[in-house]
Amino acid sequence: MENVAIHEDWRSRFSELAPGLLLFARQWVRSRADAEDIVQDAFVRFWRRNHAIDNRALLYATVRSIALDFIRRNSRRARREAEAVSESEQVVEPQFEFADEAEFVLAAALDRLPHDQREVLVMKIWNELTFAEIATALNISQNTAASRYRYALVTLKKMFLPQ
Amino acid sequence: MNDFFEIEHELKKLRPARPLPQFLARVEQAMADPEISGDKIIRLNRFGLHWIALGVGVAAAALFLVLAQVSTDRGAKQSERIAQNSPAPEPQSTSADQFIPTGATQVVYNTRDEGLHFTDGSEGPMRRLRYQTRETLQWRNAQTGESLRVSYPSDEIVLIPISGQ
Repeated sequence: MENVAIHEDWRSRFSELAPGLLLFARQWVRSRADAEDIVQDAFVRFWRRNHAIDNRALLYATVRSIALDFIRRNSRRARREAEAVSESEQVVEPQFEFADEAEFVLAAALDRLPHDQREVLVMKIWNELTFAEIATALNISQNTAASRYRYALVTLKKMFLPQ
Repeated sequence: MNDFFEIEHELKKLRPARPLPQFLARVEQAMADPEISGDKIIRLNRFGLHWIALGVGVAAAALFLVLAQVSTDRGAKQSERIAQNSPAPEPQSTSADQFIPTGATQVVYNTRDEGLHFTDGSEGPMRRLRYQTRETLQWRNAQTGESLRVSYPSDEIVLIPISGQ
């Protein structure tokens, strides 16, 4: 009975975390299907190893590690995809649900951020990790995590909210 | 961070694309069934079939040896009777037919709870337990003192229905 409850808890927690985890994985892969594979592999692995579901730093570190492995394994394909994306200047499958044009512009600005800044931003804004958790997941200091976040906001503010 | 309140607010209004229901179902199924997972996970049931075949083979070999022993005993008795009336036959000794089974053991060295599993046709989830064992069969040749020992691993999967309120 307790195991059933625990399983239910994991299921419901995954439903909550899945959108943010997929967004996090989409930083490395353009295809939603690839992101789903990465998140599934990471989450199931995390679950099998009996980690605490609240250990989000480790969960995101697992997703990141598997995403990087995925890129290494599929570097040729990823390069072709990246070239195709840069040629067409558009993302094939949207990472967000857009309510209006302004949101689309903001998402496009987000896509142009340096990778290390966007990574921290995605973890902080849409996954609600603390700087301590982000620092653990990325193996950087909390100050570095906070700096990257601040730089990302400065850049976006300039692009999206010009004075 | 107050300088960034407005841009943070705008960012938070952006909602990540929702995962497809099929994706959630796929992950749930992968959690319930350890066979369905990433390509790095070794699927033990691939080997299970071979172990079963090996087990059947060893059992058949043991049965053959037992029957061969019985057959040899009868033959020996008959040859004693014949020997009273005719020259003794040349002794044809083969060590294989004199091996007799001396023991069989099964040691469970690992029990793993593989979580809940939804099987076809079942009304509820079932807990899946995998017992990893090592079975050992031994034979001994009483005349020469030689012994034969075969040991092989095997997997046994037990499904236990879960009932809850």
